[in-house]
Amino acid sequence: MTVDVAARLRAARGGRLRRAQATTVVALRMMLHDKAKLIGTTLGVVFAVVLAAQQLGVLFGLLQKNTMFVDNAGADLWIVPPGTTQTAPGQRMSTALLDQARATPGVAVAAPLLMIGTSVTKPGGGSEATTLVGFDLDAGLGGPWNIVAGDVAALRAPDALFFEDAQREKFGGLNLGSVREVGGHKVRVVGFTWGLQPFGPPFAFADIDTVRDLGAVPADQLSFVLIKLAPGADRAAVAADLAARCPTAQVIATPTFHATIVSTLLRQQLGITFGTSTAFGLIIGFIIVALSMFSAVLDNLREYGTLKAIGLTSWDLTRMLIVQSIVYALLGSLIGLGLVALMSAGIRGPNLVVIVPRTLVLATPLIMSALCMLASVLALRRVRRLEPGMVFR
Amino acid sequence: MTLAIDARGLGKVFGAGALAFRALDAVDFQVTPGELVMLVGPSGSGKTTLLSILGCVLTATEGELRLFGERVSGRPERELPLLRRALIGFVFQGHNLIGALSARDNVRLVLESRGTTAHAARAEADALLAAVGLADKRDRLPAELSGGQRQRVAIARALAGAPPLVLADEPTAALDAHAGLEVTELLTRMCRERGTTVVVVTHDNRIFHLADRIVHIEDGRIVDGRLSGVAA
Ligand SMILES: Nc1ncnc2c1ncn2[C@@H]1O[C@H](COP(=O)(O)OP(=O)(O)OP(=O)(O)O)[C@@H](O)[C@H]1O
Ligand SMILES: [Mg+2]
Repeated sequence: MTVDVAARLRAARGGRLRRAQATTVVALRMMLHDKAKLIGTTLGVVFAVVLAAQQLGVLFGLLQKNTMFVDNAGADLWIVPPGTTQTAPGQRMSTALLDQARATPGVAVAAPLLMIGTSVTKPGGGSEATTLVGFDLDAGLGGPWNIVAGDVAALRAPDALFFEDAQREKFGGLNLGSVREVGGHKVRVVGFTWGLQPFGPPFAFADIDTVRDLGAVPADQLSFVLIKLAPGADRAAVAADLAARCPTAQVIATPTFHATIVSTLLRQQLGITFGTSTAFGLIIGFIIVALSMFSAVLDNLREYGTLKAIGLTSWDLTRMLIVQSIVYALLGSLIGLGLVALMSAGIRGPNLVVIVPRTLVLATPLIMSALCMLASVLALRRVRRLEPGMVFR
Repeated sequence: MTLAIDARGLGKVFGAGALAFRALDAVDFQVTPGELVMLVGPSGSGKTTLLSILGCVLTATEGELRLFGERVSGRPERELPLLRRALIGFVFQGHNLIGALSARDNVRLVLESRGTTAHAARAEADALLAAVGLADKRDRLPAELSGGQRQRVAIARALAGAPPLVLADEPTAALDAHAGLEVTELLTRMCRERGTTVVVVTHDNRIFHLADRIVHIEDGRIVDGRLSGVAA
């Protein structure tokens, strides 16, 4: 028999795609064959996803508590005291800023906002801290949202207040029409909001003049100025103009204000705490995946050696492990995100909302794939170093 | 005529320095196409080492090796898988089948890894399994087969893609005498039908009569290999 070696070599050189397909199928079969390792590795990924996504979800929930006022006030620009990093009672500014703002081209609405820290006296004695938010009912900027009872128009009545639904018990059984005392004045509950609880005391909304009365705030003081731009006005240009007209204050665009609040909180305790626990989840998951993939390779060392002996290249085997990594990542992400969704639904309440943004959901399988591929490096090194000659041993 | 195997002056040293061990020493080993050679010798004499070098899964430290005229020695390591895919079928001491794959898929894998289409690979795998008498067991996993049946699947796999050279290292070691003889007879018959060149390492004198020639190796040297027709 004569052997056409050149033809056989040519044939063996081709068929790369078939080889890739065939080895991919083998990789999946080997993965499914060892059920214990399959479950173990997948659980490693699930663990990482649940812990990391849950921690990030809580973090986003907490951040949202602090940015929700900025996000829901309806303003395009804010005029705030210099150095402001949160929407909370603080340094006051002059109402003269309102006139400056209203005279600026491109400004459609400039509305005052007054925030004061005070307390509500309960019927049975004792009191609860609250953050009174006074806004301009005509401008409609900075008012309550997520309203579950009552009508904002009812705030036009003197001494009328909106409270937070979640605080009804705490404030001594609040209902529509309940009467409480703030700063020696009687106030009446005319509506409720849901979930408007920042880190500090919960918000209670009222007309700005009501808040001035309750807090004995001089008529020429305000906390913030909220700006709505005229249609077509350029935000950056108007902001620059306003900044020039109001040198003692800071003019900040809403998205920038949001970002400032977030970055300030992250730089403080919040970032470190949640960063650590998220990283912890990822690291533990990484270790579980790395060890179980490594041990799966050790268990099947002879089979990998055989695959090499029958002519698969190191790259073929590498691709097999990559395929396995990605499948583990996708499987674990799917299960993990499902669990996180269930947990979030269970946890969700006015005090704590777990927010898992769409970006995080989409990023999870990608991040986990990267993590699993990285975790497979240990196994990969073993497979690549494998001598095909070992199969004869 | 081009030799199927043409090895000249092959040497293999394992390790280095004080721990260096010479497993093969100036081995000349030639096999003509279609010939069935058995390689025998005491334990530790270098049979597996020689077979590994012939199978392109181990590189010699010195000497020159050609398979069907194609130079093997001196080639970079990354080209060896290609040579194995193109030229060589293996039967190992253990069956070394992939436990997660059925008998058919074990055979198909070899074919598909050489670029054969799924359909053709399936047909050839089924034909080979029928030829080794396992037509009705082709969907079984290795764990669901007997030792002799597994070794027959391994033979089907070694012959998949009709490699011109088949190398077998103690294919009967894990089998009882009867099954060992049966499996070797099957291997030799199928290789003869196909004109395949075969080298079988064995201790088993009950199968010597199936060889065209028996080569003896001792302490890494060929001591007797020109005799043919040696029977037990
Ligand atoms: N990877 C290795 N490293 C060091 N020494 C090795 C290695 N492989 C084999 N040897 C040595 O080389 C010699 C020949 O080994 P080989 O496996 O070729 O023998 P063999 O003839 O196949 O023996 P057996 O009949 O027991 O299978 C032995 O002394 C063995 O210890
Ligand atoms: Mg041996």
